[in-house]
Amino acid sequence: MSDEKTTKEILKEKFKPGEHIPLYNPEALKKIEQEFDKWKNTVVREEDRKNWKVMPHTILGSEIPRELTYTPLSNSDFDYERDLGFSGSEPFTRGIHSNMYRGRVFTIRQLYGAGSPEYVNKRIKMLLEHGATGTNWALDLATVQMFDSDEPEAKGQVATVGCPFDCVEDMETVCKDIPIDKISASIVTHYPRNTAIVFPMYLIMAEHRGVPWDKLPGSVQNDFIMESLVRSASEYIPPKDDFRIQCDNIEFIRKNVPQWNYVTLNGYNLREWGTSGVTEMAVAVANAIEILKEMIRRGHDVDWVATRLAFFWAPANDFFEEVARIRAVRRLWYRIMKYRFEAKNPRSMWMRCHVQTSGVSLTREEPMNNIVRAAYHALAAILGGVQSLHVDSYDEAYSVPSEEASIISLRTQQIIEAETQVTQVVDPLGGSFYVEALTNDLEERILDEVDEIERRGGIVETVTSGWLHKKVASHIEREQKMIANGEIKVVGRNYFRDPNLKMPKVWVHQYDDSIREQMRQKLARIKQQRDNEKASSTLSALKEACKRGDNVMDYTLECARADVTEGEMRRAFTEAFGTWKPPLFA
Amino acid sequence: MTRQRKIKVLLAQFALETHSRGILTVAGMLRDAGMEVVLIGNALPEQIIGTAVQESADVIGISTYCGGELALSEDLLKTAEKAGIKEQTIFLLGGIFPPEDAPKLKEMGFSGTFLSATKEEIVACIESALASKKG
Repeated sequence: MSDEKTTKEILKEKFKPGEHIPLYNPEALKKIEQEFDKWKNTVVREEDRKNWKVMPHTILGSEIPRELTYTPLSNSDFDYERDLGFSGSEPFTRGIHSNMYRGRVFTIRQLYGAGSPEYVNKRIKMLLEHGATGTNWALDLATVQMFDSDEPEAKGQVATVGCPFDCVEDMETVCKDIPIDKISASIVTHYPRNTAIVFPMYLIMAEHRGVPWDKLPGSVQNDFIMESLVRSASEYIPPKDDFRIQCDNIEFIRKNVPQWNYVTLNGYNLREWGTSGVTEMAVAVANAIEILKEMIRRGHDVDWVATRLAFFWAPANDFFEEVARIRAVRRLWYRIMKYRFEAKNPRSMWMRCHVQTSGVSLTREEPMNNIVRAAYHALAAILGGVQSLHVDSYDEAYSVPSEEASIISLRTQQIIEAETQVTQVVDPLGGSFYVEALTNDLEERILDEVDEIERRGGIVETVTSGWLHKKVASHIEREQKMIANGEIKVVGRNYFRDPNLKMPKVWVHQYDDSIREQMRQKLARIKQQRDNEKASSTLSALKEACKRGDNVMDYTLECARADVTEGEMRRAFTEAFGTWKPPLFA
Repeated sequence: MTRQRKIKVLLAQFALETHSRGILTVAGMLRDAGMEVVLIGNALPEQIIGTAVQESADVIGISTYCGGELALSEDLLKTAEKAGIKEQTIFLLGGIFPPEDAPKLKEMGFSGTFLSATKEEIVACIESALASKKG
């Protein structure tokens, strides 16, 4: 690695908060310490004293030891201004907005999309009628992996777990009668290449409807970690090129679609694949740092780029760890932006995030229990102060959600919001000895893992070398053993498993092969109708731009305008960059 | 059971599958049980069978999460038949799929289909299927 300093080193040098004013006075602390020792040695049972720290074992947990109880001694250096401050103010530990949910309740953003473009359009309208405040579209496997519905690889996979998008026409069908200038759309284009291909179709659709691009609210995912690390696929491009496309997309969207969130740093899928909550955040933060470095290298001001970065997390079972983790990364992100990148705009220092409750933490056994699990996950996220939420449905281990299950997920959020009253008070757990100690611990652990990634050559290098792939693979293997031997308890599966367990009949989404045929006919029609010379010249221009180093989205936009299909654009990228073999497979 | 060599298992996903937590979990379980695992990741049916022939795999395991497993499995088994390895190979499939597809997959030629399973259950399934092939 170069002699460039790591983020942790830079923070150590530059982080100079004002005058340090510890909240607890030394006299009080001394007294508490004396009393604490006395209590611990006399009142606390010997067995509990011996097992003072226990290690929580949960699916996807971080294994941070927990003490029997927490006191001011757990955080004796606590400085209110430095560590917490007020919501909407530095260091944003308590939230990015001063009034948090009183001002604006978290966006209820349920992911949906299995079916034909016509069906998905209806389903989105149904969710909006039931009170969803944003849309969140899943793309089908063929679209995610950038294949056209009529390619041989797409057999059996069209419209099964999302909506197929082959060309602009599909985008027009999905968005029909939806006010795209008012309802924000989260288009789950996981990968940079996928974003470069599908998002221009949205822009051309808006153009056809006469909606100016600067009126469009929404987000794309655009995360190279998803494309090069998390996903499994038959074809990859080299991670460094993928990282560049990620940055090209950010640059283009920032310039041309100012209300759009151009990157959602996706910790979620990495964690659900198999990592701890610490690694989840460290990888996303390391990618964000690398993006900002690249944008600065391209001559942009850090505040120009950073104001719309967003993160995506996976709250899982360990309730207080989840609350603390979200607070911790919010403070860490602030420190990185303020002291490492010297951002001036407070908005650049906001760790804004969407969360989806953990799917891997749900069980196939006794699926109704998942409603309870997901509600705890959601509550932790809200107590942590997230901006937007998807609650997983109880039938997650069976299928994409049924209508009934997705309404229960929506209701879970509405119950938390309207009935529990937890949204009335900002950062309600702030100041808890336990939560503050855990927040400090998690912030340090996340920064340490960012540091390790940087020391190993940075995020692109740790993906390319396979170091991160192997880290996940060994996490999965170890976790599986701990579930098998009962160290990790999963109610209904390995803990109090019903000896007469029967799997209930759960509605399962049925694959409808006629959608593929319908898409195939549409593709054939489009290819006949369009100006094929124009289509092929825009594709050649895209390939040249890839090789030259121009911003690729300027070129995929022209492709979309010429009705070039997704698969055609994918092949142009692969031809320009060549392929890469991921490290886990033979 | 004494064998000349380790049981060789080829693990794959259909071409577009994005999920690999399941296949990595099963790979770990089978290695742990002393089997040789060849993990090829995403592939078309022809590629899966081609590699199985090359590797002389005893078992082909497919991990699927996103539907379409009936159509794709049918292609896989037809390709295996054409390559002349259908009879001597054990076929397994695991992941998320409609439970009512399990009998159809069995009829097609799969020795085991798993919606969730322990290491012991998968190993037992492989061993008994191998024994009955020999018998």
